[in-house]
Amino acid sequence: MKRIYLTIIILLSGALTLSAQSLTQLEGSFKTGPAIILIATLVTFVLVGIFFRAKDPADYYAAGRSISKVGSGMAIASNWMSAASVLGMAGMMYGFGYNGLAYVVGWTGGYVLLLILMAAQIRKYGKYTAPDFIGDRFYSRDLRIVSAIFTILISFAYCVGQFGGIGLMFKWILGIDYAWSVIIGSSVVLLYTLISGMIGATKNMQIQYVIIVVSFLLPVFILAFKFDYFWLVPQIGYGAAVTDIVQGIPAPNLSGGAALLNAYGHDLAIVPSPEFAMPWDPSSGTTFFQWMAVCFSLMVGTAGLPHVIQRFYVVPKVTDARWSVVWGLFFICLVYWTAPSYAAFGKLLSSNHEVGVLAKDAIVVYTAQLGGVNSLVVGLLAAGAISAAFSTVAGLLVAGASAFSHDLYVKVINPNATPKRQLAIARIGTILMGVLVTIVALMKLGLIAQLVSVAFSMAACTIFPLFLLGIWWSGSNRAGAKAGLFAGILVTTISLTYFIVGLSGGSLPGQAFVSYWLNVWYFAWLGAPLAIVVNIVVSKLTTPTPLEIKKFLAEQVHN
Amino acid sequence: MESTDQYNFSIFSPRNLHGRKNRNVIFSMLLIWAVAVFGFQFLLRAIEKPTPEKSLGIFETEWPYVLADSKTEAELNSFLSTLIHVKGKNIVTPADQNVLSAAISNVVFRMVPDSLGLTLASQIEEREALEASLVQLNGQQFVDARMVIRDKTNRMTEFLEPYTGYGARSLEGPILAASLRSEFSTSFNDESYTRLPDLMKLYLTHNQSVLTDTKVLGFPFHYFYTAVFLLILFVGLCIVYNLLIEWRLRKQGIVE
Repeated sequence: MKRIYLTIIILLSGALTLSAQSLTQLEGSFKTGPAIILIATLVTFVLVGIFFRAKDPADYYAAGRSISKVGSGMAIASNWMSAASVLGMAGMMYGFGYNGLAYVVGWTGGYVLLLILMAAQIRKYGKYTAPDFIGDRFYSRDLRIVSAIFTILISFAYCVGQFGGIGLMFKWILGIDYAWSVIIGSSVVLLYTLISGMIGATKNMQIQYVIIVVSFLLPVFILAFKFDYFWLVPQIGYGAAVTDIVQGIPAPNLSGGAALLNAYGHDLAIVPSPEFAMPWDPSSGTTFFQWMAVCFSLMVGTAGLPHVIQRFYVVPKVTDARWSVVWGLFFICLVYWTAPSYAAFGKLLSSNHEVGVLAKDAIVVYTAQLGGVNSLVVGLLAAGAISAAFSTVAGLLVAGASAFSHDLYVKVINPNATPKRQLAIARIGTILMGVLVTIVALMKLGLIAQLVSVAFSMAACTIFPLFLLGIWWSGSNRAGAKAGLFAGILVTTISLTYFIVGLSGGSLPGQAFVSYWLNVWYFAWLGAPLAIVVNIVVSKLTTPTPLEIKKFLAEQVHN
Repeated sequence: MESTDQYNFSIFSPRNLHGRKNRNVIFSMLLIWAVAVFGFQFLLRAIEKPTPEKSLGIFETEWPYVLADSKTEAELNSFLSTLIHVKGKNIVTPADQNVLSAAISNVVFRMVPDSLGLTLASQIEEREALEASLVQLNGQQFVDARMVIRDKTNRMTEFLEPYTGYGARSLEGPILAASLRSEFSTSFNDESYTRLPDLMKLYLTHNQSVLTDTKVLGFPFHYFYTAVFLLILFVGLCIVYNLLIEWRLRKQGIVE
């Protein structure tokens, strides 16, 4: 590890000796300093991946169950904090004001559900993957297959947003076309995941977390200091900036006699803009219902995401599973407390007509650029965003590959597969998924946070009800699980169908109605409760759960 | 022989004292969580009132007179400021920006003496041509072109200052100059301005209440509560839950 850290230090110091690049354009040019930082970061990831390479399937899927609770917490946070957290969330707040906060609350509040309803019980159940649990708990090969397919689909949907984020940052740093940026970024992350598997990924996630936090927090301290806000705790200091946006700042805006200017030399001045902070503002095009639906869907989806659930299998003890959630949530919150400040500073710094409305998904780096933050620090920020996307993608690809290899191939197709064969299948699954995700990411179907929220709604409608009832009600049986899963899939299919038809310019009966009430970003508000109710009703009406399952639940899971 | 019922388990009907205590902790946590997150938003929704910005009142007072074309220059100035205050918001859609730009141009050309109207129009046309060429430029050329546009806009602001009262270093001056268009309808009764009153209402009305107007640590209270406090609460709930569960396990001598 020391050699790896030394390599980072040498490469970073090399970058720091370069003269800071002057701010000319937000996009479109090759940025030397940031590019060196990015390459150094990527080389580090690959070295760590090689150093902690997976040697057998247990390492590949669950890191050999050797990760401590703080380490696992960092890995949870790193795994969790994707491009959606680092780039997308601030973009949502910049574009949709208070409604963007539904993402902040949704993506953190779900951990409370995860802790009190899932974490310890999942660890006690003692399976490797989500389909493993579902297939075993509901004594059904069919359910294992369907849940494995949905695990892959959820990971797939989640990855699309991440690859988009990776593409945006590569584009910003390299000054190349978006399509090439996505292809280059995807190739690197794919290579790294193939080399390392979960154990390398878990070690990397701890390093990635440190990079994400340092790179994300540093520019905010600088911005708060530079623009005369309370910089010692900028997560509180930006509150005054929010109030300034609401009330407006007249020009010229002076601090100690000197004008406060952005990197273009514009006054830090803004017309009164209460729409930035006021709830569900009519001008933002969002409503109270959407705030609630997004928040609920993200929370429930959090507790149903296979790659998040899978992290509880890698801790040695049940108590570690619980505390790793707390550590994970705390580490996540460090970034989530900070993200809205980028939206606020971004709003102030881009208020001049000459800057115009900025691309929402790149608002974090644009804000740092417009604030005149040193280009190397901005480069570090972009590298941190890429790290965030990498760590999540690695976890997702491993979860998807596990479902493909362990749950479909070994458990269904070839139970006698050797460990070597299993690993080969996992790697083929990773490559297939990576290539397909790259193709979809090139289509630019939505904002990063929105794309990722599709995965949450899918997880909330399919996996979450099965885990919730599977753990907490012995009466939930195979027939109930199948019916509930069918209901969840039905809602998911309706929402996705209307979305795809709408996207292609077509229209189905009730298009506007479904697009609003069952929108693809938040359809779980209906799908998840419906799947739970259907599961309960059908379970009550059909043959009870077998004795051995009930006994296992009572004695092993709820001791 | 073992009975199936012996192992029946549900979160609502735990099998032993530990289970019942555990259930109570879980439900208490869930209740706090749900009320804190969703209860607060319902409260926010229940007490909010659509509150207009000051500019909307001015606009609605002046608009009938503007339509009737019976405004003095001084009165036009306050009307102009309301348009600028909406145009300066970067949430405004491109279609609405066009309406506002046309309205601002219409007012400004009324305020400028007729003898200077042609000079102003040619300045605007020059800038529009430069703006149109930006899409084809990259790198330094792009930056240079932006600088030229900025200079032209600043000169235009200085040119207009005696009539509008907004200088280059004012908040309104640059927004005004950048909004000017060479093509617009000169009558506010024209169809292209029909949307203007609704548009002004849309961007100048906000859902406000005592929860949004109260300040906490510099934040509007509701913003602080949602963006900062709720996250602290989530971490706190998780810590309390873990401590409670571990204390209970120790007390009952249960090893997991």
